[in-house]
Amino acid sequence: MRKLINFLTGAAPRGNFFRRSVNSVPLQVLICLLVTVAVVVAGINEYATNKYLNVGYTPEQPVAFDHSFHAGPDSVLGLDCRYCHNGVDKSAHSNVPTTNTCWNCHSQVKSDSPALALIRRSVETGEAVRWVKVHKVPDYVYFNHAVHVNRGISCVECHGRVDKQVVVGQQKSLNMSFCLDCHRNPEQFLRPVDKVTDLGWKAESPAAQAAQGTKFVHDWKVNPPQSCSGCHR
Amino acid sequence: MSKQVFNHPAPQPGEPTGPSYWRSLDERNKTPEFRTRAEREFVDGAAAISTVERREFLLLMGASFGLAGLGLAGCREPRNHTLPYSKQPENTIAGVATYYASSFPGELANQALIVETHQHRPTKVEGNPSHAANGTASSKLAQASVLDLYDPERAQASQDAAGAVLSVAAVRELLRKLSAEAKANGGAGLAFLARPSTSPTRARIVAAVKAALPQARFVEYTPVAQNRADAVLGARALPDYAKARRILSLDADFLGSGDGVVEATRAYSAARRADTAAEADAMARLYVVESTFSLTGAAADHRLRAASSHISGLALLFAAEVLAQTGKGGEANALRAKVSGLNVEEKWIKESIADLVLAKGKALIVAGDHLSADAHRAVAIANAALGAAVRYVQAAAPAAGTIADLVAKPAATLVILGGNPAYDAPSDVDFAKAVKAAKQVVRLGYHGPAYDETSALVKEAKGTFVAASHYLESWSDGRTVDGSYVPVQPMIDPLFPTVTELDVLAPFAGLTQEPYALVRETFNRLSKDASDTAFAAWLAEGVLAGTQYPTYADMLMAVPTAAFKAPELSAKSLEVRIVPSVHAGDGMYANNGWLAEAPDPLSKTAWQNVILISPKLAKELDVEPEAMFINKIGALNRNINQLVDGRLIAKVATLTVNGVTLKGSLFIMPGLADYTIGLQLGFGRRVAGRVATRVAERLQGKLIGNGFDVYPFVTSAEPSVRTGVVLALTGESAPIANMQDHWSMEGRDVVREGNAADLKDNQNFAKLGIDGHAPAVYGKDEKMSPADKAILTPRGNSAYEHPNHTVAPNVAVWKGHEDKFPLLQQWGMSIDLNTCTGCNACVTACQAENNIPVVGRDQVLKGRNMQWIRLDRYFFDGRDQAGNDIPTDPQVTFMGVACQHCETAPCETVCPANATVHDDQGLNTMAYNRCIGTRYCANNCPYKVRRFNFLDYNKREDGHYYEGPLGPAKLPKDPADLPQLQKNPDVSVRMRGVMEKCTYCVQRIQEAKIQAKVRAKDSADINVADGAIKVACQQACPAEAIEFGDITDPKSRVSKAKASTRTYGALTYLNTRPRTTYQAKLRNLNPKMPGAILIPLSRKEMAGRESHAPAHGAPSHGAPAADGHGHQK
Repeated sequence: MRKLINFLTGAAPRGNFFRRSVNSVPLQVLICLLVTVAVVVAGINEYATNKYLNVGYTPEQPVAFDHSFHAGPDSVLGLDCRYCHNGVDKSAHSNVPTTNTCWNCHSQVKSDSPALALIRRSVETGEAVRWVKVHKVPDYVYFNHAVHVNRGISCVECHGRVDKQVVVGQQKSLNMSFCLDCHRNPEQFLRPVDKVTDLGWKAESPAAQAAQGTKFVHDWKVNPPQSCSGCHR
Repeated sequence: MSKQVFNHPAPQPGEPTGPSYWRSLDERNKTPEFRTRAEREFVDGAAAISTVERREFLLLMGASFGLAGLGLAGCREPRNHTLPYSKQPENTIAGVATYYASSFPGELANQALIVETHQHRPTKVEGNPSHAANGTASSKLAQASVLDLYDPERAQASQDAAGAVLSVAAVRELLRKLSAEAKANGGAGLAFLARPSTSPTRARIVAAVKAALPQARFVEYTPVAQNRADAVLGARALPDYAKARRILSLDADFLGSGDGVVEATRAYSAARRADTAAEADAMARLYVVESTFSLTGAAADHRLRAASSHISGLALLFAAEVLAQTGKGGEANALRAKVSGLNVEEKWIKESIADLVLAKGKALIVAGDHLSADAHRAVAIANAALGAAVRYVQAAAPAAGTIADLVAKPAATLVILGGNPAYDAPSDVDFAKAVKAAKQVVRLGYHGPAYDETSALVKEAKGTFVAASHYLESWSDGRTVDGSYVPVQPMIDPLFPTVTELDVLAPFAGLTQEPYALVRETFNRLSKDASDTAFAAWLAEGVLAGTQYPTYADMLMAVPTAAFKAPELSAKSLEVRIVPSVHAGDGMYANNGWLAEAPDPLSKTAWQNVILISPKLAKELDVEPEAMFINKIGALNRNINQLVDGRLIAKVATLTVNGVTLKGSLFIMPGLADYTIGLQLGFGRRVAGRVATRVAERLQGKLIGNGFDVYPFVTSAEPSVRTGVVLALTGESAPIANMQDHWSMEGRDVVREGNAADLKDNQNFAKLGIDGHAPAVYGKDEKMSPADKAILTPRGNSAYEHPNHTVAPNVAVWKGHEDKFPLLQQWGMSIDLNTCTGCNACVTACQAENNIPVVGRDQVLKGRNMQWIRLDRYFFDGRDQAGNDIPTDPQVTFMGVACQHCETAPCETVCPANATVHDDQGLNTMAYNRCIGTRYCANNCPYKVRRFNFLDYNKREDGHYYEGPLGPAKLPKDPADLPQLQKNPDVSVRMRGVMEKCTYCVQRIQEAKIQAKVRAKDSADINVADGAIKVACQQACPAEAIEFGDITDPKSRVSKAKASTRTYGALTYLNTRPRTTYQAKLRNLNPKMPGAILIPLSRKEMAGRESHAPAHGAPSHGAPAADGHGHQK
């Protein structure tokens, strides 16, 4: 400060006001900016994605339904996916089961369980159970379940091992590149149609999957759409 | 590379300078304003922000960005819920549409329908093909009726005299009380006023009411009666348009209005279809005598303009001519002697009737309902002499009494069932008197006292208002045109506590059943098999076989006795012809946005009615200097239909007859009879909802109806035609929401026409015009099959890369196995201009299917209407070198233009966001979520078919568009949200700033493909069968003018249509290669007719342009690069 006052009030300056080190400031600012921008871009790239934001989304459900107990051949009950999600092979949506589907069994089994209070209420009043949606694609995406499960794409490809989950969470990113990965390489994912709901099924080896998948692609004339119109209407 | 400039071929010397085809007088005369309008893709100001100043806008934007930072706090998606049913309903799978048979109630005939429901929410109606007469087709009104179900202003509760809400139980209690009172005195002082209905159940209950209460009166009233001839003949005539080969229509708009319009159009169009010389010989021919321009007149091969008040007399002359030519000269002379004061071209009558007589047995004369009783008698006699293709059936006995009787002798208890008599009663009937004189009034209405004149009147008179159900919520039944018994089934539980007409009537007949049981009872009586299975089958099928009206032979064939003296008409004493408007009908559909916005097929106005005047009258009014219609060089003075900033500004005039005056905007309509004025009913509502009233005033709390009310001119005696009308200009002018200059094709010859005879000797007529000498766009690949052209998209001589549909990009597994690759089906469309009648059903069907928003009158004035299908109406008047004659008698062609799905689409190359790209089946797709709204694509589209969401039309109300997020939004619980329930869940609802256009109903294509693959499972049978995809416009089209399907399959219907000699593409010389092609229109000319236009006027006008076609390729023609075609190598 004193230097500045001297400079302003004093006699003619005898040297440079700025120190020599100031010369590098622009460069420092530039580098700093570049680093900040790079960090922000990298951050957005990493974190502002479905993969980071949505994978692992495991909301608590109003009724603690345990898939690992009910569903799949390895579970206690061994129910097929389609016992409850019975519209999956007919409709674009895979329906969440209606309350009377639960009540088919639970009217006999554990019908008084406190865990089933909401189910009982729904049966009595006709009011819906407010299940929390886990897997959601944007409104402008028209995904169709029926065409996938009828043509050899298993539930597991998008939903993961639901039959191992106590509380269902999102396991795959479900973003557009996730869709396109499969639509461009269908041979890696196709399986025999009767194994679609067998979530634990795997070809013997990756090579076996590729060979079998290629055969399916050729025999079934699989040509998954890659145009906009395939999913956006 | 230097920029290549493409110029559309310039006119040659000696070529007419006006456009061959014109949509408006401004276009015809090439006014500077029109040119400015046409050069801009959107109207001047369309892209401007209207109410917010630029600075204010920037300020708001700054603030929004600041706030956006705060909003980023919650990055995760909101928590969404899935609410499954508690108990699974039958036949319901979430996400799969369910279809039920029902019918659209009419006054003369119901329309058999299939209703598409999504989780029991009706979203769309289609024709029911089980009823062969209408196939999959449906009318514009039926299409739009779905929107009425979700009308946010429909009555949501019943009200008693004090305005307190009445429950359904209370309404039933009230009706029981009233019926008990009536029972006590035999129904004395009780009267019902209802609209006509075809329902056998209602007829049965009304009969029961009459039996139970002999003194009660049951009166039917409708402002536009469709069956006036029934009373004259004691029978109803059902013309067989499929069989008739020579049709003479006397002011009967059988293709344009009335309840049988779908069936008539379908049958008539089938008789018009011709692709070979043999078919050309069998083609139907239509003669029309009419005053205003109707769709039937537009379809006519020979059209005679005559005043409606003269046509009743002309009918006698035509009938006399038939008698004379079938050897009954004496009777003919007696008939002729009755007619005086008509100045008519004898030869027209003679030759047209000669043609009809030649086609004896397959000839037909139809007469408009408004013609005199004598005219109908004469036509019946003529039809009998011709052995006409008409069947008579026994008509239902008309209800005794008229609405005038209710006023003359008021009832103590008045029950008003539907209708809106306070608005639409004849002007000589003071309906309010009948209501005020009654001690008790019960009004069943769809709109409550705030939105309906009659309901308001009833409230004023301390009556009870009962909210009515929509037909999609009701049990009822009806009969189609041919009498087939059809159900009206509820698709959804009533959205509000409402009741139906049957609910109200039944207690008075002492019946306690619900409408379902009543309908079941009627079915048991009408069906041979009354079992539950038969009833279920009827509901599933939608039609009960074998219930057509039986033929009836005991018509009253009386010879006309009264003399006919034609009224004198002149510019000082005009005639008005009053018709229901295409937007609001008789006022019943006034609150329906789809109908309001669908342009009138001929005048192209929307949202209002106009005073249609003939060009000759416009010229004659020239006597007053203020009313200068024709300028010195003979062009129409543009003070009348004037384009200012792209809007049509019209003079306002008054019409006066017998001291009653109306005021409205003038619109010059070429083709009108000289001294006839066309008026349309249904506008000028005094108490009505948001669509029927003006927005600006409504926001200030005032209700002013769109357009003007024509009912003051309607009298009991003369409901449709008045004479002695005086027109006076007011000196004011007002804008008309008119679409005729929106998206102009600027006179390029996109329309092709020929005569039926051309199919024999000039098969190339469709290739004439510019395509006759345009560079062959396929170049060396011209000879490829259509399938190869679609799949390989050969480059021809083009320098640019073309899409290739033979490979799957980026799929490694197909590399090296291309031989096994499933070649994809390629979609294409063919539109037959020959059968298209311009009815607008496609426009409305498209709007219903594709969630196209209604934008409102102000936005239409700005050129922002959103309909994907632009049904162009072209006039051409045959002016050759004579210059600017007044276009009094033009020919009309309709051409529906939507996205042409060009294989080499100009829009795709200019999109900076890759939001519009090609798919591998030839669709030009729009990825809405990618679109950033540059509008470059619209600017580069030669067909002008892209529509831009300038504002949030789907999210906000008209009147609040410009307030953006600051304005009231349609909240989910707001009743205004009701229209959202109509939205098709398979189609994105677009937001502001997004471009949209015809998608070829991609959702239907995908659904069909998915269904094929679901069925295929692990097999290779994945192709969609021909006919499995019906796009919305094709399905609705009553003329079956649209074919859609796989163009690589030579056996598909669309390929066959495209193989027709009449097929051509619009603007194909631009090398756009549109997937939509057209089939040229045919006119079936009778060369003996006076004024026969031997070559279609369009061709005549194009002759100049074709003149150098033969020279093409000759050395004198010059190098191709220099001839203005711009096809440089």
